[in-house]
Amino acid sequence: MSESASVCVLDDVAWQEVTAATMGAAAPCFQCGVCTAVCPWGLVQKEPVSIRRLIRMAQLRVDGWGEAIWLCTTCGLCEARCPRGVPVSEIILALRRLAWERRAAPKGLPTMLWAIHWDGNPWDQPPSQRQAWAKGLDLKPFAVGDDLLLYVGCTAAYDRRSQRIARSLVTLLRSAGVSFGILPDEPCCGESVRMVGQEAYLAELVEGNARRFKEAGVRTLVTVSPHCLDMFRTQYPSWDGFRPLHYTEYLAELLDGGRLSFARELPVTVTYHDPCYLGRRHGIYDPPRKLLAAIPGLTLVELPSSREDALCCGGGGGRMWLETHAGERFADLRVREAQGTGAEWLVTSCPFCILCLEDSAKVLGSEQLKVVDVTELAVRALGDGR
Amino acid sequence: MIPPAYAPDEARGLWVFLEQEGGQLEGVALELLGKGRELARARGILLTGLLLGHGVEAGARQAIAHGADHVVVAEDPLLAAYTTDAYTNVSARIILERKPETLLLGATPNGRDLAGRLAVRLRTGLTADCTGLAWEEGTGLLLGEVTGFGGGVMASIKCARHRPQMATVRPGIFPLPPSDPDHAGRIESVAVSLEAGEIRTQILERVRHAGVDITRASVIVAGGRGVKGDFGPVTELARLLGGEVGASRVACDLGWIGRDHQIGQTGFVTRPKVALVCGISGATQFSVGVKDAGLIVAINSDPEAPIFEEADVCVVDDLFPVLEALIAELKRRRP
Amino acid sequence: MKPLGIIVCVKVVPKPEEVSVNPETRTLDRAKARSELNPPDMNAIEMALALRERYGGSVSLLSMGPPFAAPYLQVGLAMGADHAYLLSDRLFGGADTLPTSFALARGIQKIGEWDLVLCGEESSDGATGQVPAGIAEWLDCSQATYAMDLALLPDGRLRAEREIRGGHEVIAVSLPAVVSVKLGVNEPRFMDMELRRTAPAVTVWNASDLGVDPASLGFEGSPTVVGAVWQAKSPERRREFLDGTLQEKARLLAERIRALVSF
Ligand SMILES: Cc1cc2nc3c(=O)[nH]c(=O)nc-3n(C[C@H](O)[C@H](O)[C@H](O)COP(=O)(O)OP(=O)(O)OC[C@H]3O[C@@H](n4cnc5c(N)ncnc54)[C@H](O)[C@@H]3O)c2cc1C
Ligand code: SF4
Ligand code: SF4
Repeated sequence: MSESASVCVLDDVAWQEVTAATMGAAAPCFQCGVCTAVCPWGLVQKEPVSIRRLIRMAQLRVDGWGEAIWLCTTCGLCEARCPRGVPVSEIILALRRLAWERRAAPKGLPTMLWAIHWDGNPWDQPPSQRQAWAKGLDLKPFAVGDDLLLYVGCTAAYDRRSQRIARSLVTLLRSAGVSFGILPDEPCCGESVRMVGQEAYLAELVEGNARRFKEAGVRTLVTVSPHCLDMFRTQYPSWDGFRPLHYTEYLAELLDGGRLSFARELPVTVTYHDPCYLGRRHGIYDPPRKLLAAIPGLTLVELPSSREDALCCGGGGGRMWLETHAGERFADLRVREAQGTGAEWLVTSCPFCILCLEDSAKVLGSEQLKVVDVTELAVRALGDGR
Repeated sequence: MIPPAYAPDEARGLWVFLEQEGGQLEGVALELLGKGRELARARGILLTGLLLGHGVEAGARQAIAHGADHVVVAEDPLLAAYTTDAYTNVSARIILERKPETLLLGATPNGRDLAGRLAVRLRTGLTADCTGLAWEEGTGLLLGEVTGFGGGVMASIKCARHRPQMATVRPGIFPLPPSDPDHAGRIESVAVSLEAGEIRTQILERVRHAGVDITRASVIVAGGRGVKGDFGPVTELARLLGGEVGASRVACDLGWIGRDHQIGQTGFVTRPKVALVCGISGATQFSVGVKDAGLIVAINSDPEAPIFEEADVCVVDDLFPVLEALIAELKRRRP
Repeated sequence: MKPLGIIVCVKVVPKPEEVSVNPETRTLDRAKARSELNPPDMNAIEMALALRERYGGSVSLLSMGPPFAAPYLQVGLAMGADHAYLLSDRLFGGADTLPTSFALARGIQKIGEWDLVLCGEESSDGATGQVPAGIAEWLDCSQATYAMDLALLPDGRLRAEREIRGGHEVIAVSLPAVVSVKLGVNEPRFMDMELRRTAPAVTVWNASDLGVDPASLGFEGSPTVVGAVWQAKSPERRREFLDGTLQEKARLLAERIRALVSF
């Protein structure tokens, strides 16, 4: 996919739409090109998306961003480096919103939205199966007085691979004696809705969900996915005591409080991939590392790009619902980087990252490198034969 | 009650609509004759075939050989290819005159097109897409067994006071009866009064499908990374079953097979009757593309593979010898 | 070319996997089931909206069902349909395809100006696929079932590409016509939230609004009756593991496959 060559001029109405949609966010850009230089698409495409040009087109009232706006994974790398603090991914999402109005959204996305509307999840799975992931775990519904609400999220609830993360997390919470429950008809947080630029529908979803959480008396809410976390922290209204946390944060608190500990030695070398929505978006770099460091015998080696500079897996920004061609997947690069560290395990803490990285490891034939979630490693280190 | 076209006590005999294409009977028509033979014998009634077309004598003889006692043939150049109006008008006229008790049709696209129209023309009941047919004990009414709600619920349906009692049956439900060239039957040609002006449909073009379209395949044999680059057995099995070849994304990524075979979330969503999934682990991104399959067969050497959690029939084994044995078995027992 | 008056017949159905048979009463238990718009009907709505974009005209939705169906019709309005009509009356209840197609045909006539009726190929609950042809017969107009693509010809007829066994055919039919749209032929557009807010109310008609004899409606007007109902299979897959030698496994596999397809 390359940029559309036909550049047509927006009329005034359309320009007003763009400015209003991006709330003038593009204005401060002075076209230095740093964003284009750091964008990982430059690593996988010969003719990379020029994010600088996209922003220029938005400034110049010029149309023609075409399909390029759907490539952005909203990894935030460019934003972290932009000298003018331009919220690039917000601009991208606003342009996506306009694309819907022009009926120019890619195929597959309406189907994903309908799945959320009819079934309450983007995976097109029956709502009656939402708790299938917890089969045999005997979980109870959340009640006021519980330490926390476990918000599993659609991916960990339905995706077979990711279900293992949720189950491991339950084991960890139980071993620490935490009282928690789940919401019986857990709703979709709306992350995919936001990422594809369906702001108005998102508002409807968020309003209904927030009311439900609040009425249920939810205060501490722990998510499996950093993407859900981002939604609760940035898109949901706050209410008294509402404290959305990622599980790595909560487990690190348990470590500090002495409620969680790892007895079993795991003499392995691992490397850790920072999920964009945990790291760059919310600055959660240390809690997962703290958990890994608490596992006896484990050695952590860092990837060539990590923390603020970490390379994206390619699964954010709605890219889970769009095909990324073989050879253009960021995860391939990430897996190669991981192999280069000599680590036996590539550890991360996001279901989307797991899916992308594991898939790339298969295509690259790098099965020696095991892709696992922090919870899965931690459960092995619990040391009571589990 | 919507008044019936004729009363139950005037009605006689079991009729099968004989769908044909270019003078050759469709497989489902023969299957219905087989089942019809059994049903007619049970009540000692006649089995009649209703054959519309142009130049269809061979089809009529084929019907007799497959169990019909009697074939009513309506021939006209305007009946050469199926159109709703021509077929409905001619069938309705014959049926209103002969008053069959029961009429069975194949649930092919054209069979259903005709059945739905005819049932309203005749003001009668129609049990669609039956998976079983039987006579009700005592009343002798036709009981059609149907599935609904995505196959989750079954029901038996009957039509008490309207005739003919109509039912459609999908291809492949009943076995193909053996052909008996010595079976005797009567072929009766009836006069057709059909005017071109009655037909509101004009056929512009007919296309037989070639090439891959896994979204319409009724059988899919899919291979994944487990086929290790060799789609040979998968392809051979698909061909034997009259199906298409599917693949996981990894298999496509590795260049073992084209993208138009990719099943899944970012590939094609399929709805086959049978999906054979070979050497595919069953990632959700793959499975969403086969979840509406009627039957899922999984062949995988790893007993822990998630695909086994969503398969109806599971074989834990190396796929190559299993496929080889299955291909041999199918060839051996080829009907 | 004059604008097209399009009516789309849609049905609100329970989610198939949430319907079960009560083993004691041996009746269908759909009370707990969530509902949705019948999936093929979504394809019909999309087809109608695309035709309206191309040729101009209007799209009306018509449904027969209980009052709770109204919000589901709102979904179709939010996709862009202009009007929605709901035939709702206890007298319509328990209808098989004959009175269903009859009531819908009368509803279509009451809506008035129309050139084209679109339906989904079948409903996920009844799965008969017989209603579209039935409507066409009651209205005495041409029909095209299992359509994959529609367009207007210069002479004003409708060009329909429809599925036949092993392929497809292209036919021209005179308007007015009733068309059933194949499942999955297009991707239904998502709702427009602005339209969702501004959508007109659903017009509800009962049996007397249609001015028809109650005896030809609903259960009373249905020639067929449901004898017994039973659960076919659980929504979960069977997970039957085959044992034995390779040959035994192959034989069992062939048997399972043969039970479903002939080849
Ligand atoms: C955004 C995104 C979108 C995706 N979209 C799709 C999609 O549309 N479609 C899709 O398929 N995937 C998709 N994937 C990839 C998906 O997550 C999986 O990686 C992929 O489906 C795995 O393919 P596979 O089962 O062939 O390979 P594997 O998971 O490696 O499985 C191979 C299987 O073969 C078995 N096996 C090996 N040798 C043998 C043998 N001799 N006999 C029998 N069994 C054997 C193994 O036990 C294993 O279970 C997507 C991933 C992402 C991140
Ligand atoms: S880095 Fe910032 S200022 Fe520089 S071109 Fe990109 S958006 Fe504009
Ligand atoms: S957010 Fe990431 S993917 Fe998107 S433009 Fe910036 S660097 Fe590129």
